[in-house]
Amino acid sequence: MNYLRLIGVFFRVNIAGELAYRINFLFSFFESVMGLGFTLAGMAIIFSYTDSLNGWRPEEILALVGVYSLIGGVIRVAILPGMQQLTESVRDGTFDFTLTKPEDAQLIATFSRVAVWKIIDIFLGLVILIIALARMGSVIGGVQAVEFLGMLLTGSVIVYSFFLILATLAFWLVRVENILTIFLSVYHAGRWPLSLYPGWLRYGLIFVIPVAFATTIPVEALTSRLNWVTLLAAFIAAAVLFIVSRAFWKFGLRHYSGASA
Amino acid sequence: MFRPAAVEDSIVHIQSLSKIYFVNQQEAGAKATVHGIFRRKKTPVQAVDEISFNMAPGEIVGFLGPNGAGKTTTLKMLSGLLYPTSGTVTVLGHIPWKREKTFLRQITLVMGQRNQLVWDIPAIHSFELNRVIYRIPPDDYQSILKELTDLLELGPLLTKPVRNLSLGERMKCEIAAALLHRPQVVFLDEPTIGLDVTMQRRIRSFIAEYNKRFGATVLMTSHYMADVEALCKRVVVIHHGRLLFDGELALLLQRFTSHKTIIIQLSECQADLKVYGEVLACEDGRYTLRVPKAETARITERLLADLPVVDLLVEDPPIEEVIDRAFTEWNK
Amino acid sequence: MKALFQMYLQQFKTTFASMFQYRASLLIWMIGQVLEPLVFLVVWSTVSNGNGGSVGDYTTGAFVSYFLVLMLVNQFTYTWLMWDYEWRIREGILSFALLKPVHPIHSFIADNLMSKAIQLPVLTVIAVALAFTFHAVLSVSLWVVLAFIPVLILAFLVRFLLEWTLAQAAFWTTRVSSLNQLYFLLLLLFSGQIAPLSLLPHSIQIAAKILPLYWTVGFPTELLLGKITPSAALFGIGVQAVWLIITFFLAGAVFKLGTKAYSAVGQ
Repeated sequence: MNYLRLIGVFFRVNIAGELAYRINFLFSFFESVMGLGFTLAGMAIIFSYTDSLNGWRPEEILALVGVYSLIGGVIRVAILPGMQQLTESVRDGTFDFTLTKPEDAQLIATFSRVAVWKIIDIFLGLVILIIALARMGSVIGGVQAVEFLGMLLTGSVIVYSFFLILATLAFWLVRVENILTIFLSVYHAGRWPLSLYPGWLRYGLIFVIPVAFATTIPVEALTSRLNWVTLLAAFIAAAVLFIVSRAFWKFGLRHYSGASA
Repeated sequence: MFRPAAVEDSIVHIQSLSKIYFVNQQEAGAKATVHGIFRRKKTPVQAVDEISFNMAPGEIVGFLGPNGAGKTTTLKMLSGLLYPTSGTVTVLGHIPWKREKTFLRQITLVMGQRNQLVWDIPAIHSFELNRVIYRIPPDDYQSILKELTDLLELGPLLTKPVRNLSLGERMKCEIAAALLHRPQVVFLDEPTIGLDVTMQRRIRSFIAEYNKRFGATVLMTSHYMADVEALCKRVVVIHHGRLLFDGELALLLQRFTSHKTIIIQLSECQADLKVYGEVLACEDGRYTLRVPKAETARITERLLADLPVVDLLVEDPPIEEVIDRAFTEWNK
Repeated sequence: MKALFQMYLQQFKTTFASMFQYRASLLIWMIGQVLEPLVFLVVWSTVSNGNGGSVGDYTTGAFVSYFLVLMLVNQFTYTWLMWDYEWRIREGILSFALLKPVHPIHSFIADNLMSKAIQLPVLTVIAVALAFTFHAVLSVSLWVVLAFIPVLILAFLVRFLLEWTLAQAAFWTTRVSSLNQLYFLLLLLFSGQIAPLSLLPHSIQIAAKILPLYWTVGFPTELLLGKITPSAALFGIGVQAVWLIITFFLAGAVFKLGTKAYSAVGQ
């Protein structure tokens, strides 16, 4: 479909643009490795005093760190840049150009910016994940693998929809003042299992700023902690949130174009 | 004065188009500020007031008016960016605000103050993006790219990051990017603003050439008289949202720019220059005189002969003045 | 002297106005500031509870206090000089500050103090609320409170001058983000934000005591928690004083070099 062609060319153009600054890749790589290194160091310190954290074994926490890096990479590569570009273009008026293009404005806005070098985070996350899986041994069955991939997908959709809703606020507020960074500030909490946190914080991480869907829930699927009720609920939540965010987006477009309510 | 094209032939048809904005009323003072938190007073602003005109295929029409006259608002309604409050618009048989893909593929919008090109990558990549978005066949793309590159002298510019280009070079690339899909209707919003005189001329001649070669219909807003004089046989004048004039440019000039402005620099503001022309202002010895157009050469000669002139400049009256005069005329 | 006072006043007003304008970003920033220590608070509490109520010389209640006090001490001593400086150079507005008759460091100090004057009260309230939620345990003796004041002030000065020195790197390179990240990760580890120093591996403890980072955040925190003996506290103040002198001269030297390099390029 043309949608895929379009996404492809956005990636291609962004990569081509970045290729001239290959040194950025080195710095990105350096920063990602550093960040991950310190996260693992923190983990090591904690596990020198205990064998399990609320029932989670070290290799399971490692898997969590892997997913945290993986989804974090997806956000930094494909979600955050586009949404940030969107809010800026609404503020300086260049969003009008997006609207005069003969393709879906949401699609263009989402993929117009891609931070290619952050793919390193995805790669490192996968490496950590594979190491963690190896350590966990043959506990992973086919069902869990499918559930895991399914939850990764729903997590990504939920996070994307959340970002879209925040970015759509730009149509009313215009000066959104870096509102998008709120997810990444809270995202740190995703490095540790949700069950560690008190009820109110858990509630916030599921329903207010959906960090849990990006990290804990996929790994819970992987480590057989997820019952099918939660699984189903996550799928439904993703579908609903996607539809709601698109509806809100369309509503925002109408407001931007001066439609009389 | 009005020369309406037949509706059936029109590529752009506008009928009683209006747009009202609601602006929050901000009053000063502590009490008003507190009150404003709870109930904002909204005042309606009539940006466009019942304008009607049509455009035939291949026309270049100048859309004139001072800042805030409603030009950009009208253009946005024609390109589908804004919903009108009332009235009808059809462009190429489509209702713009429905933003149908077939409609959007045939139009383009260029805004002098804003860039659609991606800032930190070479322009050619932005072109590539448009190629895919507009689904331009590869052969068509290559041929139009070559033509535009020749006409606009883009050669070395395309591979430089856009942020490294000068304002004029950037504008040329912007225009090229906007025309890759060979749109039938071209909306230009102040395309020459901020550019130096040479670049302005180049862009004007490009637009004329493009219109000749491809027969595109062009609606261009500007508040530079020179833009309009170079390109548009027909102008539409708008002021305070209302259509003041729709007809041949020559007619407008004849009727309302009957004067020229002479700016003359003396050492101080003491001399009485009433005998030469209407003195509009004087500051630090810099006089602004209004003289009848036909008399300009004669009066200039006299000024240079009679007075210790440090510097002298002859200008067209600013468009605001032309429009103001047109408006005052109409009020009578 | 009067010019200096006026400049501080002016900067206070500017900072206050811009904080009010960007209050949403401020809120989001504070959420992040609270969450980081909160996460470690929860993790270490879990470890402690699973370990019979304590790890090393920290009980669960002490862990809670530790991280909440840490959050406030961090808030009191932190700066954003390294980003601010680079941004001003990039935007070309640092030149204006350099032309003023007063040393540019003052506007940064004023901005820093004013921001904290607003942020600290809010965070203190949050810290108290969290202390009740998580059952913090803290008992403070008088001498600790008296010692805490100079320790905190010294910590602020040392950290400010240190980060000011590092911020000058922006004169020589635009790639400060990697440098900043490295610094903050080191800070995280050595200042005790991941875990109290006594729980870290021995080699890291030694490194932490040699570097200034621990003395700006971890040391004041541990003092207030009563983990430091009076003689150790005195020793600590001495170390802080030494670092103050070192960073003071470093900051001055690097600044001189930096401005020379900056004007040589003809900005």
